[in-house]
Amino acid sequence: MPPIFFEVAQLVVNGIMTGTILAVPAIGLTAIYAVLRFPNFAVASHATIGAFAGYVANVQLGLPVLPSVVLAFLAAGVVGMAADELVLKPYRAAGFITTAIASIALTIALENLVRFGFGNELRGYDLPLLRDWRFAGIRVGPQQLQNLAIAVAAMAALFAFLAFTRTGKAMRAVADNPMLAAIKGINADVVARLVSFVGMGLAGLGGMLIGLDTTIDPLTGFRAILSVFAAAVVGGLGSIPGAVIGALTVGVGEELCLLFLSPDYRSAVGFTAILLVLTLRPRGILGQRAF
Amino acid sequence: MTKHHTIVTSRRGFVRGAGALALGLAAPAIGRAQGQPLTLGILTPLTGAGGFDGPRMLKAMKAVIDEVNAAGGLLGRKVDLVIEDDQTNPEAAVRAARKLIDVSKVPVIMGTWASAVTSAVAPLCWESKTFLTTVSGADSITLLPHQGYLIRTQPNNHLQAGKHAEFIASTGAKRVFIMSIQAPFAQPTQRRASEVLKQKGSEMVGGLVYEKEKTTYRSEVDQALKTKPDLVYLNGYAPDVTVILRDLYRAGFAGPRFAQSYAVNDKVLGALPPEVTAGVITVQPSADIDSPAFGLAAKRIGLPEPDSYETQATDWASLVSLGIAQAKEATGTGLRDNVRKISQGGGTKVYSAVEGLKLLAQGKSINYEGASGPCDFTDIGDIIDCKFRYNKIEAGKPVFLKIA
Repeated sequence: MPPIFFEVAQLVVNGIMTGTILAVPAIGLTAIYAVLRFPNFAVASHATIGAFAGYVANVQLGLPVLPSVVLAFLAAGVVGMAADELVLKPYRAAGFITTAIASIALTIALENLVRFGFGNELRGYDLPLLRDWRFAGIRVGPQQLQNLAIAVAAMAALFAFLAFTRTGKAMRAVADNPMLAAIKGINADVVARLVSFVGMGLAGLGGMLIGLDTTIDPLTGFRAILSVFAAAVVGGLGSIPGAVIGALTVGVGEELCLLFLSPDYRSAVGFTAILLVLTLRPRGILGQRAF
Repeated sequence: MTKHHTIVTSRRGFVRGAGALALGLAAPAIGRAQGQPLTLGILTPLTGAGGFDGPRMLKAMKAVIDEVNAAGGLLGRKVDLVIEDDQTNPEAAVRAARKLIDVSKVPVIMGTWASAVTSAVAPLCWESKTFLTTVSGADSITLLPHQGYLIRTQPNNHLQAGKHAEFIASTGAKRVFIMSIQAPFAQPTQRRASEVLKQKGSEMVGGLVYEKEKTTYRSEVDQALKTKPDLVYLNGYAPDVTVILRDLYRAGFAGPRFAQSYAVNDKVLGALPPEVTAGVITVQPSADIDSPAFGLAAKRIGLPEPDSYETQATDWASLVSLGIAQAKEATGTGLRDNVRKISQGGGTKVYSAVEGLKLLAQGKSINYEGASGPCDFTDIGDIIDCKFRYNKIEAGKPVFLKIA
């Protein structure tokens, strides 16, 4: 096998790993968009809140990773629901641009609350760092496989929730046709709260997954938001499977460009790819149907 | 009360006093200057990002000037400092510099810290023939058309990269890979390090420039390890170097890693498991702790170990005092033309301003050796040499290796 094969394979593996983690908050963003029809940039601060909630659980309370991840989801979900109810809901009547801008203000405020409580320094989870495994010349990290498994499990749970439960179906109904859903007696307020909880919970979970792989500080979520947003848009803003495909496209695309270009052009290539996709398919790869 | 009485006791006395006052006001400035204090300007960050270093540099400069005043001042006059806060902000710094130049008419401004501030203030200085001393490290600063009105005691990137490469070669590393963050210093550092490594019998087997704020650098690490380096030089900041150190560990790289100490600081060491940072070598510019000037500065400031910034500030105040004495006038042009006459060359080595002033008064030539380093300057105002402190991380703590 020529060495270039291994190189490409390694880059694809790395891209899938990054893409899968990116997919989790991207699903949160796109799900909120599907139901509430505005891009909620507060996903950034909720990713940070999740990462710090997981940090408190894992380092300060000494819990293992899995329960910490669940706590990260719950904490970010609860904050997300409260923030939407108290801050963003009143803006919705003023249109989606106003609400989107309010969400940027909200994310900066929340990020600074985290900074106020925890300071600016870098923090790491209490995890042994393991050396990578090698399979046939391809390098894979045990920690990253675990993150991959957590991300896949979270996505599977979400899909099952949307496909098989009554509440999940209600959410999809509101996303597809709010008017019809209202006629059918679905309470749009309850669905809005629920989607904020689930969406921001996923953002928090994603934030912790990013942190498990690196370190965390109050800017953890903000650093990732551009890629998360790109993933959601490429897949089709509002489409949940689209967010997964979009995240994988962005993840693998950014890695593969390293074959031809210096790493400092990574983001540029990623975003050029986005322009290309959107020029050819303005509604994203999978369009905007929620599910 | 009594003072008031003495002035207005008699009408004649009052008239005489008023007459003297009027005469004084009408007399040309030069007549009044006799015995008036000589003012030097300080522009340093007392607030903002430089707010930690500025006040300490100010204290070090004051200590030198107090000593000079106690020994009789400069040119027979007492020295006064006019202090302005640059707020680590170019806009505020320019306003403050204008005040120092136009109102206080100082011959020198000492103490700018941030490169952006120095770049903004420097043109005002050279246009008004005011001398400027700084710690800003960006290579571009001494390349400005400053006509000699600027010196800096901080090593620039070129000097740092060369020194780092010398040290790396001395550890026996033969194949060096450099990973740099996307920043103005990335390419110049790689170029200079590559040159020096080659001269010293090592080789830079490759280098890359990575984007900041990525959540993983696995593929970059793969690129680096493909060249089979025996040392990896991480030329970045704390958030990215933390991630790369983890990725290097995961990839199974066990060789030494080399980084600036601001990139592997205490917080980074606290956030990473000790096995990840074990064996990392860190470097930072260092005061010249073996120099007698360092001991004198420590005593003067009242600290066991003044750091690089405090010793550089000590050296500015000393160089400026000696430069004014050598020029026999307190002007920016006098400083520009005389600072190298007292800082380098074959004169008697001196380690403090007061010691040098005595010799200058006897008509001898001197060579000031500073607390931060030898204080020898190139034509464009860069230092020719300085010391660096090397530490090695063991069990999550920096252990002193050497100063060289």
